[in-house]
Amino acid sequence: MTESVHIDLRINGEVRSLQVETKRTLLEVLRQDLLLTGTKRGCNQGVCGACSILVDGHSIRSCLSLAVAMQGRDIVTIEGLSDGARLDRVQQAFLDAGAIQCGFCMPGMIITAKALLDKNPRPSTEEIRHALGNNICRCSGYVKVIDAVHRAATT
Amino acid sequence: MKYLEPETVDEAITALASAEDARCLAGGATLVAMLNAELVDPKVLVGLRKIHALRGISRTADGIRIGAMTTHNEIAADDRLTGATAVLRSAAGQIAHEAIRHVGTIGGSIAHADPSADWPAAITAAGASVEIASSSGTRSVSVDEFFLGYLQTAVQPGELVTAIDIPRGPKNARGHYLKFARVDGDYATASIAIVLAMDGKRCDYIRFAAGACGPGPLRVVAAEERLLGTELKAEDIAAAGDLLAAEADPVSDVRGSSEYRRLLIPRLLKRAITLVTQQ
Repeated sequence: MTESVHIDLRINGEVRSLQVETKRTLLEVLRQDLLLTGTKRGCNQGVCGACSILVDGHSIRSCLSLAVAMQGRDIVTIEGLSDGARLDRVQQAFLDAGAIQCGFCMPGMIITAKALLDKNPRPSTEEIRHALGNNICRCSGYVKVIDAVHRAATT
Repeated sequence: MKYLEPETVDEAITALASAEDARCLAGGATLVAMLNAELVDPKVLVGLRKIHALRGISRTADGIRIGAMTTHNEIAADDRLTGATAVLRSAAGQIAHEAIRHVGTIGGSIAHADPSADWPAAITAAGASVEIASSSGTRSVSVDEFFLGYLQTAVQPGELVTAIDIPRGPKNARGHYLKFARVDGDYATASIAIVLAMDGKRCDYIRFAAGACGPGPLRVVAAEERLLGTELKAEDIAAAGDLLAAEADPVSDVRGSSEYRRLLIPRLLKRAITLVTQQ
Protein backbone atom coordinates (compact mmCIF):
# COMPACT_ATOMS: atom_id res chain seq x y z
CA MET A 1 0.00 0.00 0.00
CA THR A 2 1.32 3.41 -0.83
CA GLU A 3 0.77 6.05 1.75
CA SER A 4 0.08 9.62 0.82
CA VAL A 5 0.68 12.68 2.96
CA HIS A 6 0.00 16.37 2.85
CA ILE A 7 3.07 18.55 2.33
CA ASP A 8 3.91 22.18 1.73
CA LEU A 9 6.78 22.90 -0.65
CA ARG A 10 8.29 26.31 -1.32
CA ILE A 11 8.88 26.38 -5.06
CA ASN A 12 9.99 29.42 -7.06
CA GLY A 13 9.03 31.66 -4.16
CA GLU A 14 5.52 30.26 -3.73
CA VAL A 15 4.27 27.78 -1.15
CA ARG A 16 2.47 24.90 -2.89
CA SER A 17 0.25 22.58 -0.85
CA LEU A 18 0.13 19.06 -2.19
CA GLN A 19 -1.04 15.57 -1.39
CA VAL A 20 1.75 13.20 -2.44
CA GLU A 21 2.62 9.56 -2.11
CA THR A 22 5.66 9.15 0.13
CA LYS A 23 7.62 7.28 -2.53
CA ARG A 24 7.43 9.98 -5.14
CA THR A 25 10.47 12.03 -5.95
CA LEU A 26 10.50 15.78 -6.12
CA LEU A 27 11.17 15.40 -9.85
CA GLU A 28 7.90 13.50 -10.36
CA VAL A 29 5.94 15.99 -8.28
CA LEU A 30 7.42 18.97 -10.13
CA ARG A 31 6.64 17.52 -13.54
CA GLN A 32 3.37 15.68 -12.96
CA ASP A 33 1.60 17.58 -10.19
CA LEU A 34 2.90 21.09 -10.70
CA LEU A 35 3.45 20.82 -14.48
CA LEU A 36 6.88 22.40 -14.11
CA THR A 37 8.19 20.33 -17.01
CA GLY A 38 11.34 22.34 -17.58
CA THR A 39 13.08 20.00 -15.17
CA LYS A 40 13.79 16.85 -17.17
CA ARG A 41 13.84 13.20 -16.27
CA GLY A 42 16.90 11.50 -17.74
CA CYS A 43 18.47 8.57 -15.95
CA ASN A 44 16.41 8.81 -12.72
CA GLN A 45 19.57 7.60 -10.95
CA GLY A 46 21.39 10.84 -10.20
CA VAL A 47 23.95 10.46 -12.95
CA CYS A 48 22.90 12.62 -15.91
CA GLY A 49 22.07 15.97 -14.30
CA ALA A 50 18.97 16.66 -16.42
CA CYS A 51 16.80 16.98 -13.29
CA SER A 52 19.05 19.52 -11.52
CA ILE A 53 17.28 22.13 -9.43
CA LEU A 54 18.43 24.67 -6.84
CA VAL A 55 17.71 23.92 -3.21
CA ASP A 56 18.77 26.61 -0.75
CA GLY A 57 21.06 27.87 -3.51
CA HIS A 58 22.80 24.56 -4.20
CA SER A 59 22.35 22.49 -7.33
CA ILE A 60 20.98 19.06 -6.46
CA ARG A 61 19.25 16.18 -8.22
CA SER A 62 15.47 16.29 -7.93
CA CYS A 63 15.33 12.57 -8.89
CA LEU A 64 17.27 11.71 -5.71
CA SER A 65 15.02 13.75 -3.43
CA LEU A 66 11.78 12.41 -2.02
CA ALA A 67 9.16 15.16 -2.12
CA VAL A 68 8.17 14.47 1.51
CA ALA A 69 11.73 15.17 2.65
CA MET A 70 11.88 18.58 0.96
CA GLN A 71 9.54 20.53 3.22
CA GLY A 72 11.05 23.71 4.58
CA ARG A 73 13.59 24.00 1.76
CA ASP A 74 13.76 26.80 -0.78
CA ILE A 75 13.36 25.15 -4.19
CA VAL A 76 14.04 26.92 -7.49
CA THR A 77 13.45 25.26 -10.85
CA ILE A 78 14.40 26.50 -14.31
CA GLU A 79 10.99 28.19 -14.50
CA GLY A 80 11.92 30.25 -11.45
CA LEU A 81 15.05 31.81 -12.91
CA SER A 82 13.42 34.39 -15.13
CA ASP A 83 11.16 37.09 -13.72
CA GLY A 84 8.53 36.38 -16.38
CA ALA A 85 9.64 39.21 -18.65
CA ARG A 86 13.39 38.90 -18.78
CA LEU A 87 15.60 35.83 -18.84
CA ASP A 88 18.19 35.26 -16.15
CA ARG A 89 21.66 36.27 -17.37
CA VAL A 90 22.74 32.62 -17.47
CA GLN A 91 19.77 31.71 -19.68
CA GLN A 92 20.48 34.70 -21.92
CA ALA A 93 24.15 33.75 -22.19
CA PHE A 94 23.25 30.21 -23.28
CA LEU A 95 20.99 31.67 -25.98
CA ASP A 96 23.60 34.19 -27.11
CA ALA A 97 26.32 31.55 -27.28
CA GLY A 98 24.09 29.21 -29.29
CA ALA A 99 24.80 26.56 -26.68
CA ILE A 100 21.53 24.73 -27.23
CA GLN A 101 21.18 21.75 -29.54
CA CYS A 102 18.24 19.44 -28.78
CA GLY A 103 17.74 21.32 -25.52
CA PHE A 104 16.96 18.39 -23.23
CA CYS A 105 19.95 18.85 -20.94
CA MET A 106 19.76 22.66 -20.96
CA PRO A 107 17.66 23.27 -17.81
CA GLY A 108 20.08 21.11 -15.83
CA MET A 109 23.12 22.74 -17.42
CA ILE A 110 21.79 26.24 -16.70
CA ILE A 111 20.92 25.37 -13.09
CA THR A 112 24.40 23.90 -12.53
CA ALA A 113 26.04 26.92 -14.18
CA LYS A 114 23.93 29.24 -12.03
CA ALA A 115 25.00 27.45 -8.83
CA LEU A 116 28.63 27.61 -9.95
CA LEU A 117 28.53 31.32 -10.79
CA ASP A 118 26.80 32.21 -7.53
CA LYS A 119 29.75 30.69 -5.66
CA ASN A 120 32.51 31.49 -8.13
CA PRO A 121 31.67 34.55 -10.25
CA ARG A 122 34.67 34.24 -12.61
CA PRO A 123 35.41 30.53 -13.02
CA SER A 124 38.27 29.30 -15.19
CA THR A 125 37.56 26.98 -18.10
CA GLU A 126 38.88 24.13 -15.97
CA GLU A 127 36.50 25.01 -13.13
CA ILE A 128 33.56 25.20 -15.54
CA ARG A 129 34.45 21.83 -17.05
CA HIS A 130 34.74 20.32 -13.60
CA ALA A 131 31.38 21.75 -12.42
CA LEU A 132 29.56 20.66 -15.57
CA GLY A 133 31.08 17.18 -15.41
CA ASN A 134 27.82 16.70 -13.54
CA ASN A 135 25.66 17.19 -16.61
CA ILE A 136 25.54 14.97 -19.65
CA CYS A 137 24.73 16.36 -23.12
CA ARG A 138 24.04 13.54 -25.56
CA CYS A 139 24.41 15.94 -28.48
CA SER A 140 27.95 16.42 -27.06
CA GLY A 141 27.64 20.17 -27.43
CA TYR A 142 29.97 20.97 -24.58
CA VAL A 143 32.21 23.58 -26.20
CA LYS A 144 29.48 26.17 -26.61
CA VAL A 145 28.15 25.38 -23.14
CA ILE A 146 31.53 26.34 -21.70
CA ASP A 147 31.50 29.50 -23.87
CA ALA A 148 28.06 30.30 -22.50
CA VAL A 149 29.20 30.05 -18.90
CA HIS A 150 32.15 32.35 -19.61
CA ARG A 151 29.75 34.75 -21.31
CA ALA A 152 27.37 34.65 -18.32
CA ALA A 153 30.31 35.36 -15.99
CA THR A 154 31.17 38.55 -17.89
CA THR A 155 27.68 39.97 -18.37
CA MET B 1 5.59 3.27 2.52
CA LYS B 2 5.31 5.23 5.72
CA TYR B 3 7.73 8.16 6.02
CA LEU B 4 8.85 9.29 9.47
CA GLU B 5 11.11 12.17 10.48
CA PRO B 6 12.33 11.68 14.05
CA GLU B 7 14.27 14.45 15.77
CA THR B 8 16.40 12.36 18.12
CA VAL B 9 18.39 9.14 17.82
CA ASP B 10 16.09 7.45 20.34
CA GLU B 11 13.04 8.35 18.29
CA ALA B 12 14.79 7.05 15.19
CA ILE B 13 15.45 3.70 16.87
CA THR B 14 11.81 3.46 17.91
CA ALA B 15 10.79 4.28 14.32
CA LEU B 16 13.18 1.64 12.94
CA ALA B 17 11.59 -0.95 15.22
CA SER B 18 8.15 -0.28 13.76
CA ALA B 19 8.69 -2.51 10.71
CA GLU B 20 11.02 -5.41 9.99
CA ASP B 21 12.31 -3.92 6.76
CA ALA B 22 12.45 -0.30 7.93
CA ARG B 23 15.24 1.69 6.31
CA CYS B 24 17.04 4.89 7.18
CA LEU B 25 17.11 7.71 4.65
CA ALA B 26 20.25 9.83 4.95
CA GLY B 27 21.09 12.02 1.93
CA GLY B 28 19.18 9.81 -0.50
CA ALA B 29 21.94 9.73 -3.12
CA THR B 30 21.87 5.93 -3.17
CA LEU B 31 18.63 4.90 -1.48
CA VAL B 32 16.32 7.07 -3.59
CA ALA B 33 18.05 5.80 -6.73
CA MET B 34 17.36 2.26 -5.45
CA LEU B 35 13.71 3.15 -4.75
CA ASN B 36 13.44 4.57 -8.28
CA ALA B 37 14.86 1.34 -9.70
CA GLU B 38 12.46 -0.67 -7.49
CA LEU B 39 15.36 -2.53 -5.90
CA VAL B 40 14.03 -1.81 -2.40
CA ASP B 41 10.51 -1.38 -1.12
CA PRO B 42 10.55 -0.73 2.63
CA LYS B 43 7.30 -0.41 4.56
CA VAL B 44 8.81 2.30 6.74
CA LEU B 45 11.38 4.90 5.78
CA VAL B 46 13.04 6.82 8.60
CA GLY B 47 14.34 10.19 7.40
CA LEU B 48 17.29 11.34 9.51
CA ARG B 49 17.59 14.92 8.30
CA LYS B 50 16.05 16.49 11.43
CA ILE B 51 18.38 14.76 13.90
CA HIS B 52 20.90 17.53 14.56
CA ALA B 53 22.97 15.29 16.83
CA LEU B 54 24.02 13.27 13.78
CA ARG B 55 25.54 16.23 11.98
CA GLY B 56 28.92 17.86 12.13
CA ILE B 57 32.59 17.33 12.81
CA SER B 58 34.18 17.75 16.23
CA ARG B 59 37.53 17.20 17.91
CA THR B 60 37.76 14.43 20.47
CA ALA B 61 40.50 13.40 22.90
CA ASP B 62 41.88 10.92 20.34
CA GLY B 63 41.13 12.57 17.06
CA ILE B 64 38.08 13.61 15.11
CA ARG B 65 34.44 12.56 15.30
CA ILE B 66 32.23 12.84 12.25
CA GLY B 67 28.47 12.60 12.66
CA ALA B 68 26.81 10.08 10.35
CA MET B 69 24.70 12.74 8.59
CA THR B 70 27.70 14.93 7.75
CA THR B 71 27.84 15.46 3.99
CA HIS B 72 30.79 14.67 1.74
CA ASN B 73 31.11 18.39 0.97
CA GLU B 74 31.26 19.33 4.66
CA ILE B 75 34.07 16.82 5.17
CA ALA B 76 35.93 17.94 2.04
CA ALA B 77 35.83 21.53 3.31
CA ASP B 78 37.03 20.90 6.87
CA ASP B 79 40.61 22.07 7.34
CA ARG B 80 40.91 20.35 10.72
CA LEU B 81 41.28 17.09 8.80
CA THR B 82 45.05 17.11 8.55
CA GLY B 83 47.76 14.49 9.12
CA ALA B 84 46.33 10.98 9.22
CA THR B 85 42.74 12.26 9.03
CA ALA B 86 43.54 14.02 5.72
CA VAL B 87 42.79 10.70 4.01
CA LEU B 88 39.10 11.42 4.68
CA ARG B 89 39.20 14.95 3.39
CA SER B 90 41.01 13.75 0.30
CA ALA B 91 38.44 11.01 -0.34
CA ALA B 92 35.44 13.28 0.33
CA GLY B 93 36.44 15.76 -2.36
CA GLN B 94 36.68 13.01 -4.97
CA ILE B 95 33.24 11.48 -4.46
CA ALA B 96 30.97 11.84 -7.51
CA HIS B 97 30.13 15.49 -8.22
CA GLU B 98 29.20 18.64 -6.35
CA ALA B 99 25.43 17.94 -6.54
CA ILE B 100 25.92 14.50 -4.98
CA ARG B 101 28.54 15.61 -2.43
CA HIS B 102 26.12 18.27 -1.23
CA VAL B 103 23.50 15.69 -0.18
CA GLY B 104 25.39 12.39 0.26
CA THR B 105 26.55 11.52 3.76
CA ILE B 106 29.40 9.49 5.20
CA GLY B 107 27.03 7.47 7.40
CA GLY B 108 24.72 6.65 4.52
CA SER B 109 27.60 5.53 2.36
CA ILE B 110 29.30 3.28 4.88
CA ALA B 111 26.00 1.74 6.03
CA HIS B 112 25.30 0.85 2.40
CA ALA B 113 28.83 -0.66 2.12
CA ASP B 114 29.24 -0.60 -1.63
CA PRO B 115 32.88 -1.63 -2.11
CA SER B 116 33.12 0.66 -5.15
CA ALA B 117 32.30 3.70 -3.03
CA ASP B 118 35.13 5.82 -1.66
CA TRP B 119 34.42 5.81 2.08
CA PRO B 120 34.96 2.13 2.92
CA ALA B 121 38.65 2.14 1.87
CA ALA B 122 39.24 5.64 3.26
CA ILE B 123 37.95 4.92 6.77
CA THR B 124 39.72 1.55 6.75
CA ALA B 125 43.08 3.21 6.07
CA ALA B 126 42.28 5.75 8.77
CA GLY B 127 41.70 2.96 11.32
CA ALA B 128 38.30 4.41 12.18
CA SER B 129 35.66 3.11 14.55
CA VAL B 130 31.99 3.25 13.76
CA GLU B 131 29.49 4.11 16.47
CA ILE B 132 26.23 2.19 16.17
CA ALA B 133 23.12 2.93 18.23
CA SER B 134 20.35 0.52 19.13
CA SER B 135 17.62 0.28 21.73
CA SER B 136 20.21 -1.10 24.18
CA GLY B 137 22.58 1.86 23.82
CA THR B 138 25.59 2.52 21.61
CA ARG B 139 28.54 0.35 20.66
CA SER B 140 31.74 1.15 18.84
CA VAL B 141 32.93 -1.23 16.11
CA SER B 142 36.41 -1.18 14.65
CA VAL B 143 36.37 -0.62 10.90
CA ASP B 144 38.16 -3.96 10.50
CA GLU B 145 35.03 -5.64 11.87
CA PHE B 146 32.49 -3.29 10.32
CA PHE B 147 32.52 -4.26 6.63
CA LEU B 148 31.48 -7.90 6.37
CA GLY B 149 30.99 -8.33 2.63
CA TYR B 150 29.26 -6.91 -0.41
CA LEU B 151 26.63 -4.48 0.95
CA GLN B 152 26.98 -6.12 4.35
CA THR B 153 28.04 -4.51 7.60
CA ALA B 154 27.98 -5.16 11.33
CA VAL B 155 24.84 -2.98 11.56
CA GLN B 156 21.92 -5.18 12.62
CA PRO B 157 18.23 -4.59 11.86
CA GLY B 158 16.95 -1.87 14.18
CA GLU B 159 20.40 -0.31 14.53
CA LEU B 160 21.66 2.97 13.20
CA VAL B 161 25.14 4.32 12.38
CA THR B 162 25.55 7.49 14.43
CA ALA B 163 29.18 8.58 14.09
CA ILE B 164 32.61 7.72 12.75
CA ASP B 165 35.62 8.23 15.02
CA ILE B 166 38.95 8.85 13.34
CA PRO B 167 42.10 8.51 15.45
CA ARG B 168 44.67 11.28 15.13
CA GLY B 169 47.29 8.66 14.27
CA PRO B 170 50.99 8.85 15.04
CA LYS B 171 52.97 12.07 14.92
CA ASN B 172 53.97 13.08 11.38
CA ALA B 173 51.28 10.84 9.91
CA ARG B 174 49.98 11.81 6.50
CA GLY B 175 47.00 10.55 4.59
CA HIS B 176 45.89 10.48 1.00
CA TYR B 177 43.18 8.89 -1.12
CA LEU B 178 44.15 7.99 -4.66
CA LYS B 179 41.20 7.34 -6.92
CA PHE B 180 41.57 5.87 -10.37
CA ALA B 181 38.39 6.31 -12.40
CA ARG B 182 37.47 6.31 -16.07
CA VAL B 183 36.03 9.80 -15.98
CA ASP B 184 35.69 12.57 -13.41
CA GLY B 185 32.96 11.76 -10.90
CA ASP B 186 32.64 8.05 -11.69
CA TYR B 187 33.01 5.27 -9.14
CA ALA B 188 36.61 4.13 -8.80
CA THR B 189 37.91 1.42 -11.09
CA ALA B 190 40.30 0.89 -8.19
CA SER B 191 41.52 3.13 -5.39
CA ILE B 192 44.12 3.21 -2.64
CA ALA B 193 43.59 4.93 0.69
CA ILE B 194 46.76 5.32 2.72
CA VAL B 195 48.02 6.69 6.02
CA LEU B 196 51.72 6.55 6.81
CA ALA B 197 54.37 8.15 9.00
CA MET B 198 58.12 8.33 8.47
CA ASP B 199 60.80 8.33 11.12
CA GLY B 200 63.65 9.84 9.19
CA LYS B 201 64.01 7.67 6.12
CA ARG B 202 62.15 4.70 7.55
CA CYS B 203 58.46 4.10 7.57
CA ASP B 204 57.33 3.61 11.17
CA TYR B 205 53.56 3.52 10.59
CA ILE B 206 51.54 2.43 7.61
CA ARG B 207 47.97 1.40 6.97
CA PHE B 208 46.29 1.16 3.59
CA ALA B 209 43.30 -0.33 1.85
CA ALA B 210 42.20 -0.79 -1.73
CA GLY B 211 38.70 0.11 -2.90
CA ALA B 212 36.65 -1.59 -5.65
CA CYS B 213 38.90 -4.65 -5.44
CA GLY B 214 36.71 -7.12 -3.57
CA PRO B 215 33.47 -7.51 -1.64
CA GLY B 216 34.67 -4.98 0.94
CA PRO B 217 37.61 -2.65 1.42
CA LEU B 218 40.76 -4.72 0.91
CA ARG B 219 43.31 -4.45 3.71
CA VAL B 220 46.18 -6.95 3.94
CA VAL B 221 48.20 -6.73 7.15
CA ALA B 222 51.10 -8.70 5.63
CA ALA B 223 51.40 -6.08 2.88
CA GLU B 224 51.61 -3.31 5.48
CA GLU B 225 54.17 -5.28 7.51
CA ARG B 226 56.27 -5.72 4.39
CA LEU B 227 56.71 -1.93 4.29
CA LEU B 228 56.99 -1.17 7.98
CA GLY B 229 60.57 -0.30 8.95
CA THR B 230 61.70 -0.12 5.33
CA GLU B 231 62.82 2.95 3.39
CA LEU B 232 59.90 2.38 1.01
CA LYS B 233 62.20 1.51 -1.85
CA ALA B 234 60.71 0.48 -5.19
CA GLU B 235 61.27 -3.23 -4.49
CA ASP B 236 59.58 -2.97 -1.07
CA ILE B 237 56.54 -1.27 -2.57
CA ALA B 238 56.37 -3.76 -5.44
CA ALA B 239 56.48 -6.69 -3.00
CA ALA B 240 53.77 -5.14 -0.82
CA GLY B 241 51.67 -4.39 -3.89
CA ASP B 242 51.88 -8.03 -4.94
CA LEU B 243 50.77 -9.15 -1.47
CA LEU B 244 47.80 -6.80 -1.66
CA ALA B 245 46.86 -7.83 -5.21
CA ALA B 246 47.10 -11.53 -4.31
CA GLU B 247 44.23 -11.11 -1.83
CA ALA B 248 42.08 -9.04 -4.18
CA ASP B 249 38.84 -10.44 -5.54
CA PRO B 250 37.61 -7.74 -7.90
CA VAL B 251 34.54 -8.05 -10.07
CA SER B 252 34.62 -7.61 -13.82
CA ASP B 253 32.27 -4.85 -14.86
CA VAL B 254 31.94 -1.88 -17.15
CA ARG B 255 34.75 -0.09 -15.28
CA GLY B 256 37.34 -2.80 -15.82
CA SER B 257 37.93 -6.52 -15.80
CA SER B 258 38.95 -8.36 -12.70
CA GLU B 259 42.39 -8.93 -14.20
CA TYR B 260 42.85 -5.27 -15.06
CA ARG B 261 41.93 -4.20 -11.54
CA ARG B 262 44.39 -6.68 -10.09
CA LEU B 263 47.11 -5.20 -12.31
CA LEU B 264 46.23 -1.71 -11.15
CA ILE B 265 46.66 -2.43 -7.45
CA PRO B 266 50.51 -2.48 -7.19
CA ARG B 267 50.79 0.46 -9.57
CA LEU B 268 48.30 2.55 -7.62
CA LEU B 269 49.97 1.63 -4.32
CA LYS B 270 53.27 2.91 -5.67
CA ARG B 271 51.67 6.11 -6.91
CA ALA B 272 49.84 6.65 -3.61
CA ILE B 273 53.02 6.18 -1.55
CA THR B 274 54.91 8.58 -3.82
CA LEU B 275 52.15 11.17 -3.48
CA VAL B 276 51.83 10.88 0.28
CA THR B 277 55.57 10.92 1.00
CA GLN B 278 56.05 13.99 -1.19
CA GLN B 279 53.32 15.92 0.65
